[in-house]
Amino acid sequence: MAKTEIRVGGLGGQGVILCASIIGKCASIYEGKHATLIQAFGPEARGSACSAQVTVSEDEIGYPYVKNPDILVLMSQDAYTQFIPQLKPGGLVLYEEELVSIDGKLPKGAKAVGIPATRFAEELGRRLVLNIVMVGFFAGATNLVSWESVEKAVKSSVPKGTEDLNLKALKKGYDYGKEQAGN
Amino acid sequence: MGLNTLPRTITLHDGRNLELRLLEVADCLGLVEFYRTLPEQDRQVLKDDVTTKEWADRFLRKVATKEVLCLVAMDGDKVVGEGSLYRSMYGWTKHVGEIRLTTARSHRRQGLGLAMASTLVKLATDLGIEKIIVSMVENQLGTRHTFEKLGFQKEAVLPRHVKDISGIKRDLIIMANDVSQIWAAMEAMVQDYSPHQGE
Repeated sequence: MAKTEIRVGGLGGQGVILCASIIGKCASIYEGKHATLIQAFGPEARGSACSAQVTVSEDEIGYPYVKNPDILVLMSQDAYTQFIPQLKPGGLVLYEEELVSIDGKLPKGAKAVGIPATRFAEELGRRLVLNIVMVGFFAGATNLVSWESVEKAVKSSVPKGTEDLNLKALKKGYDYGKEQAGN
Repeated sequence: MGLNTLPRTITLHDGRNLELRLLEVADCLGLVEFYRTLPEQDRQVLKDDVTTKEWADRFLRKVATKEVLCLVAMDGDKVVGEGSLYRSMYGWTKHVGEIRLTTARSHRRQGLGLAMASTLVKLATDLGIEKIIVSMVENQLGTRHTFEKLGFQKEAVLPRHVKDISGIKRDLIIMANDVSQIWAAMEAMVQDYSPHQGE
């Protein structure tokens, strides 16, 4: 299998790193693939630009940095502006549709699929689970990882006592991703 | 596991299926009957005389005003467990809820208490309650173990505070679970600035 390179971008406090970490954990620990994670965040705890790079591959990964991602997961307009020029032609953009506006800068053949993840998280009772909605959306829209694996990865990553709501958030995103991407 | 998940069926360790649901007005007599069939030593640890119709009427009024959220476990049409979340709607402890839980002896050590307690904890957190307390007598070891499984810790001991049926004074233990901390941990995880995140 070819390597899949993913960039997750947003703002500090949205759980960008945890989102990327769960995708990587899911692929490596629960699906037996190889995965790497590189994270970058600003000096402030909240509101500064934040991104993570995840590489998933059947083979060993020699170089963990993502220069031209196959998939972008975007949770802020700044992240869109910064990373959209790097997306591979034919790549996939998964974006929070109430925080990101898609313009005409998508590379040739690229597809963009949006989700109102913040609203979904708020409807579930906590805005905090926005990133988990995005993880579910990623899994449902890409089919890169299975539901069973991503469910296990979320369960083992979130604090005890928060599993129920996080799994609801995951399912909400997953179902929406499947529906929107026609998977 | 919010209100929208009720009623739901639970299976006890011995395979019996029970229904967990919110108390309805029509359950009033069944609830009083449940309490009347409890042995006196079990009723001794309760805070009210729960065997009277007057108590049931007062209790239903509190349920109607949402001061009490009451969950019942039904074995067919028979009440075999009652668990309630008491809360203050006003004042400096309105973020605190108290759980009171009683199960029929015939259904103990089968996972019923844990199922009811965990449901009440989830309902409490959904209602925005930040701290949950539960009181028990020192020798209610099973109850204590159940709540420890749900993250409760001993917070206070009132020595020789209660007198049991034989006249022996016993310690009252107050256990608490600061459920606001559960989500504080999640909040810390999504900060996106810790150099240890993602390890």
